[in-house]
Amino acid sequence: MTSRWWLPRRAVQTGTILLLASPAAGFTFFSGNLASAELAGVRLSDPLACLQAVIGSGVLVPSFLFGALLVTAFYFVLGGRSFCAWVCPVGFLTELAEKFSRRTRRGGRRLPLATGRYVLFVVLATVAATGVPLFEVLSPIGIMGRAVAFASLVPLLVPAAILLVEIFAAPRVWCRSLCPLGAFYALIARFSPLKVGFHRERCTGCGDCVAACPVPEVLDPLWQSDACRVRAGACTRCLACLDSCPERALSVGFRFKKEPLSLTDEGRPIEKSAP
Amino acid sequence: MTKERDDSGISRRRFLKEGALAPFALALAAAGGGTVYLRPGEAHGFVLRPPGAIVARRFLAACVRCGKCAQACPYHSIRLQDRGVGIGTPYIAARHTPCYLCPDLPCVKACPSGALDQKTTEVEKVRMGTAQIVDREGCLSIRGLRCEVCYRQCPLIDQAITLEPRHNPRTGEHTIMEPVVHREKCVGCGVCENACVLPKPVIVVRETVEVQRDSYDF
Amino acid sequence: MGLSRRDFIKACAAAAAFAAAGVTTARPEWAEAAEDGITWGKAPCRYCGVGCSVLVGVKGGRIVSTKGDPAGPVNKGLNCIKGYFLSKALYGKDRLTTPLIRKGNRMVEASWDEALDLIAAQYKKAIAEHGPDSVALYGSGQWTIQEGYVASKLMKGGIGTNNLEPNARLCMASAVVAFMNTFGSDEPMGCYDDLDLGDTYVLWGANMAEAHPVLFSRLIDNKLKHPKVKLIDIATRRTRTTKMADEFIAIKPHGDLAALNAIIHVILRDKLYDEAFVAKHVSFKRGKENAPYGLKDKEAFNETPADVKNLTFEEYKALMKPYTPQWAQKVSGIPAAKIEELARVYGDKSRKVNSLWTMGVNQHSRGVWVNNLIYNLHLLTGKICKPGENPLSLTGQPSACGTAREVGTFAHRLPADMVVMNEAHRKKAAGIWGIPAEKIPAKVGLHTVEMFRAIDRGELKCVWIQCTNPFQSLPNLNRVRKAAQSRKAFIVVSDIYPTRSTELADVVLPSASWVEKEGVFGNTERRTQQWFKMVNAPGKAREDVWQLIEFAKRMGHGALFPYPEKGMHRAIFEEYRKFTLGTGKDLAPYGVYAKVRGLRWPVKANGTETRWRYTEADDEHVAKGEGIKFYKAPNNKVSVWFRPYEPPAEVPDRNYPFWFCTGRLLEHWHTGTMTGRVPELRRAVSQATVELHPEDAKRLGIRNRDQVRITSRRGSIVLTAEIGGRGTPERGSVFTTFFDEKKLVNEICIDAFDPLSKEPDFKKCAVKVQKA
Repeated sequence: MTSRWWLPRRAVQTGTILLLASPAAGFTFFSGNLASAELAGVRLSDPLACLQAVIGSGVLVPSFLFGALLVTAFYFVLGGRSFCAWVCPVGFLTELAEKFSRRTRRGGRRLPLATGRYVLFVVLATVAATGVPLFEVLSPIGIMGRAVAFASLVPLLVPAAILLVEIFAAPRVWCRSLCPLGAFYALIARFSPLKVGFHRERCTGCGDCVAACPVPEVLDPLWQSDACRVRAGACTRCLACLDSCPERALSVGFRFKKEPLSLTDEGRPIEKSAP
Repeated sequence: MTKERDDSGISRRRFLKEGALAPFALALAAAGGGTVYLRPGEAHGFVLRPPGAIVARRFLAACVRCGKCAQACPYHSIRLQDRGVGIGTPYIAARHTPCYLCPDLPCVKACPSGALDQKTTEVEKVRMGTAQIVDREGCLSIRGLRCEVCYRQCPLIDQAITLEPRHNPRTGEHTIMEPVVHREKCVGCGVCENACVLPKPVIVVRETVEVQRDSYDF
Repeated sequence: MGLSRRDFIKACAAAAAFAAAGVTTARPEWAEAAEDGITWGKAPCRYCGVGCSVLVGVKGGRIVSTKGDPAGPVNKGLNCIKGYFLSKALYGKDRLTTPLIRKGNRMVEASWDEALDLIAAQYKKAIAEHGPDSVALYGSGQWTIQEGYVASKLMKGGIGTNNLEPNARLCMASAVVAFMNTFGSDEPMGCYDDLDLGDTYVLWGANMAEAHPVLFSRLIDNKLKHPKVKLIDIATRRTRTTKMADEFIAIKPHGDLAALNAIIHVILRDKLYDEAFVAKHVSFKRGKENAPYGLKDKEAFNETPADVKNLTFEEYKALMKPYTPQWAQKVSGIPAAKIEELARVYGDKSRKVNSLWTMGVNQHSRGVWVNNLIYNLHLLTGKICKPGENPLSLTGQPSACGTAREVGTFAHRLPADMVVMNEAHRKKAAGIWGIPAEKIPAKVGLHTVEMFRAIDRGELKCVWIQCTNPFQSLPNLNRVRKAAQSRKAFIVVSDIYPTRSTELADVVLPSASWVEKEGVFGNTERRTQQWFKMVNAPGKAREDVWQLIEFAKRMGHGALFPYPEKGMHRAIFEEYRKFTLGTGKDLAPYGVYAKVRGLRWPVKANGTETRWRYTEADDEHVAKGEGIKFYKAPNNKVSVWFRPYEPPAEVPDRNYPFWFCTGRLLEHWHTGTMTGRVPELRRAVSQATVELHPEDAKRLGIRNRDQVRITSRRGSIVLTAEIGGRGTPERGSVFTTFFDEKKLVNEICIDAFDPLSKEPDFKKCAVKVQKA
């Protein structure tokens, strides 16, 4: 283990939960939850919640829209689905559950990552057609946020159901393939400047990064092409790959130099010799 | 993360265990979801929303279920639904804690999405619902007793609820002081429903029915 | 356009009522349980002075239902909301069921013998060391007649001290003194029938709609039936009564003293008085003036016959000359023209005028004077002792009249209008009690305020409190509570629940309440109502009579109470009845009361009641042809007193710019120890609020339901603001209720009292109001 990205990430995840609980403890700098909130006087909104509300009700409050754009811009810069790895309490929960569950393997019965886009489409189509904001109704993120803020515990059966399915039937299926919010962020993440970079010359091909990655499909292009960074929108910028790589072959940043593809016979990149 | 993992394939025992467990887990998950979404909601199909709530159908879409209105309520009158399509949306259980009509309407101010109409600024103009005496035979005041608790507790006393005195023929020498709700003034805060002394309140807040104007109106 | 919307609602309501009337059985609910096996008994309501009759349904040793008694002449089957939940007041979870003795800061359960022995030992020790005037008994207008009578006999005839007071000192004492010095006999000449028969009702500072709910409903019915009926509400606060009145006249606190004098001035000036009536029945008097306010300890003030000057009518007229309406306008805030108008209402020969008042007049640092002035109006205009035309002093407790006033449990009283200062009276009492006359001390005992001050001064060593809650209800509460907290006296409290008084007691005794014992109450209109015991008291709780007699035995006065165990209440009542016979306050034999829904005394020889006293039409003590005869007054002449204006004890100033007034509301009664145990009533009104005038509130930046700090020179308290609710005080005044045990609002109140009646003024003191 060479870097310790998991530490700040856990801190942010825990901090989010504390933030959600803070109004109940009498603090006033934060109110609301991840659908819409006010932090130190700044109004923030979940862009997908905003989209549904506007489509479904036809009511448009400028500050609401502005809050949603602010959040969109923020996550765009920091990599889209970084929300999933760093902020989302459901992501936090399923990750923790995974640690306790012995059955977390690559492969197996997995829905393709792209399924999320179709779910997102269904959500938007539903709200447009019927006015029911499907994702706000079902959202385990909202449920968990309200459970923390208001001790509204019965709806926790929904995230519990997700955990059951993930542990016993389809690992990580919710975050990977079903969550429409994840899919929404994945769409913008493709063009995010913050990316995980790959230093081919250091890679030993041990596969530890693939084992650590919650969405290992995103790493595939690194071996199959001359890509020097992870481009897929599904990458959550959890940086577990960085932590796992003994050779420091992965890094995170805004700019990466492209290097020529040259493989050894075994399919490993050729180490660069000093000039 | 370099620890060697037990990666030697699926054992027979483990396969059996999981193969048997998966459908069971799925059933359990379905039951959990069903409990949340399929439990019956409000009996008469009316949910008392916080002040300024837009019409029911649009409200359900406009509300992003962030709970800020509930956090803004100083009396904890606003609660969040925990079932059905309205899960996470705010409501007021008037019998438990009614809306006390804060003059500055902090709940409306807190709402980000316009589900609570930002143009609502005067409490007198709020229309959450309309109080109704639903059981005239049960109402102690209408039976001639000096109760009228709903009237005296009404924040718009003498406007939203007035007392209409009339002779009590049963005793021959007393007055029946009947509380009468005036729907053009009632804001539907539910204080009356909360205060009613009977085990099942005889005055409750129901949906506001807009006065229908027809060709007979001039 | 024929039907207005309101008419339409009324029409619908009427239709619905007829529809409901067709359904003979009421819906099942807890108060009208339909099961068989319920035995029903009659009892007067436990709460206010109206005296509604209720039916009590008992099953399996428990009250399962109470309802208005259709045969009850006062209420004809109706109740207010307190009465509707009467039985629940007995079944609170925290009923006291065993005697408790203080051990340091803890209260330890004890047996009756331990508790009573301890009390007797303490009383004996105090009497031995400091004499009988170092002990006291503080009772209640909620005592039954038997309890009050036994208490009086024990203290005055046994222990030999007049340190016996009822809490009625805090509510009716001013009315009592005025009845005595005007008519020579306590209690009204009229009755509730006047509410049906009159056509003009002037309310002097009384919120009848909330404080006398069923009676108010009767008054309003008269108004509904007869368009001529006029209800004039003169008050410092707009109330639910105001809403139903024809006219509201705002008056400044203490302004009644000025306004009444000015009305009399106009009546005299314009010769609106009844010359013949005045000549025949009235003598004019002037009493002692420049009276103090009782703020200093042991401040003595008495109006002895030597202080009283007799006046001629002309002298009286001359004295009244300066009290012009223009002068009164400045003092009372009532426009001069309105005062002239009121004088003409009282003087109108075609109008049957009634005056009604309660605590606004009685809890007044010149309460007796205001009572006197109201009587003056009626005596000068001759509007008295006629059906539908009387002054009626309303009472607040179920037996303020029956026990405190008729039995005479005040520090200066003996039963049936007698006083301890009078040797003949002491002799008569001693005769009936079978003791030497010199056993009864002639020295007036400590009145309520002075009694609790004496604890603070260390002069009173033992006090036993029964059936009342002085450590919440006394004025300037901080002083008396601190005195009790520093254990300056040995305090015994008998009650049915833990209260703000039991928490300060050395011994707490569990009492039986209402129909857990047998008793008799007397209400506002002289109606004596009896009930039998219907259920057992919980645990070891025993009735107050038993407690007192057991204590008496230990004090060596057991021989005073030779009553048989069975029929004890009858025996006590019959002994008490001897005092009343032939005095114009005659009571019927006990057996009669057991059968009827009360009788209004004086009960005639043929067993019927008297509705109007002092008139040949109804009162047996007036011979035929005598017309009206005030046979209890000296020379059969009632007194019209000259009572000048004197300022209140404390007025708002720069530091304390608001008037502060306390009062009652419909849902709770007194200090809320009973109604507070009824969940439905707590749901209806859960806490005391402070009412402000909207303009005052706006100026102070206070909005509805904000927390407001009220501070006087004596204490400070935070209350929730109520603006534009059930009551709105006039500008510059705030009002609050005193039922809430969590808010001891009486810490704010000044302990100024009327120098004649010693009744404290809970209605007026100066406070500052701040947003908390």
